[in-house]
Amino acid sequence: MRRKELLILSVIAGGVVIGTFAVAEEKLPEHLRELLELGMHPGHVFVEEGKDYYHNLKGPNGKTCATCHGQDGSRLVGAYAKMPRYYKDIDEVADIDLRIYKCMTNYMGFDPEDKKFKKKYLKTYRVPLATYVASLSNGMKINVKIQHPKEKEMYELGKKVWFTRAGAREFSCAMCHTVLAGKRIRLQGLPNPVKAKSYKHWPAYRFGSDKMWTMEDRVRTCFRAYFLFLNRWDEKKDWVKKPPFFAKEVIAVELYMKHASNGGIIEVPGLLR
Amino acid sequence: MKKIATAGAIVGLGLLVACQPAAQKAEAQKPKKKLTAYEKFKIAFYQNRDEWQKYCSNEAQLVPKGISVEEFKKAMLATIKFPPGGKVMGDWKRGEKLFGDPKKGGRSRRGNCYACHCGDPQIIACGNIGPSLRGYGKKGVDPKQTYMRIYNSWAFNPCSAMPRLGYWGVLKPEEIADIVAFLHSPESPINK
Repeated sequence: MRRKELLILSVIAGGVVIGTFAVAEEKLPEHLRELLELGMHPGHVFVEEGKDYYHNLKGPNGKTCATCHGQDGSRLVGAYAKMPRYYKDIDEVADIDLRIYKCMTNYMGFDPEDKKFKKKYLKTYRVPLATYVASLSNGMKINVKIQHPKEKEMYELGKKVWFTRAGAREFSCAMCHTVLAGKRIRLQGLPNPVKAKSYKHWPAYRFGSDKMWTMEDRVRTCFRAYFLFLNRWDEKKDWVKKPPFFAKEVIAVELYMKHASNGGIIEVPGLLR
Repeated sequence: MKKIATAGAIVGLGLLVACQPAAQKAEAQKPKKKLTAYEKFKIAFYQNRDEWQKYCSNEAQLVPKGISVEEFKKAMLATIKFPPGGKVMGDWKRGEKLFGDPKKGGRSRRGNCYACHCGDPQIIACGNIGPSLRGYGKKGVDPKQTYMRIYNSWAFNPCSAMPRLGYWGVLKPEEIADIVAFLHSPESPINK
């Protein structure tokens, strides 16, 4: 009896510790806390799904991710810690979302011109695969280097984008996340992702919207708040909500932020509001 | 009857033919290709910034050295337009909805003032980026000043976090006047 109690207590304590670690100040909803207490993180479903795609999703030429990268991602351990980075084969700086897409079109035989496939990738395969590959670097230190001229160029672009005021709300990344960091938008505290090394928790499951997001999703969605427009601000007719996937500016900001997170221990998937 | 119809048809055809080169010309001037999502983003993010936003895009997010704060303010003041008749106080109830609809917990995509300011004590979910506006109407601020601050905040605090709501057309002059009424009216929950 005593032992059983002790066991339950330790499980709960463990869950709470894991919970508070990733969630920081945000309060976790009850149903999620219960799941965590049972050792189930909603993000782990995506890791499992990604693992399944990794081994079983065959390209038109019969290859899977595992064909090149090894069983259980053996050759991808630590890869995410260095991303985004310059890749010689595609001659550009890629984040995890773009890198996986390029692998699928360049090596698995998927047609880069096939819009249906691209849509399927973005909607279905991308997040689970990215989460799985990122989780292979858990426990390792983020170690992004700015060496190749294209990495330097992207880093400078990321820094520039970070400070650029734009749109009908005069926003910039820096306004909220550097200058006003620590203050609140409504009740939501504004984090400083550059100082806080927040990147270590991404991709993250966001319980506020019940969604698993990569950092690319996070950055792209931030631009919604800018109120960007094409001709003249009009919420209904002229709102440029987000940059498209793989936009240079988004990957550049990811590089800027992840470089600032160097040394942070990767703990994926994160659990955030 | 038939003759008139034929004549009309001929004239019409003639007009069509005459107009065609002009129409073709206009079409040629229009960009044929639809803009891609990335091109749209680049125009919105880079090209559509005004020179003042460019000045503020530095590490401190403030007016940089070499730019006169006074000149900056003057230029911003010159952009302010008033509602017809110069009435800077409108309907406070309409203003309340624009400020942050109490039925939606103080949310509003228009003014969205509660994101940064507190106001109606009933709305607890208010930010602390800007000063609290509780009791604002009792502070003796001139409503015209309030109007101008909302229309173009950079006329007072260049490069500040507060958007130039009238300047970019997020709010129309009449709508700003409604918000001014919400801030100043003694019946408004802000001042109760």
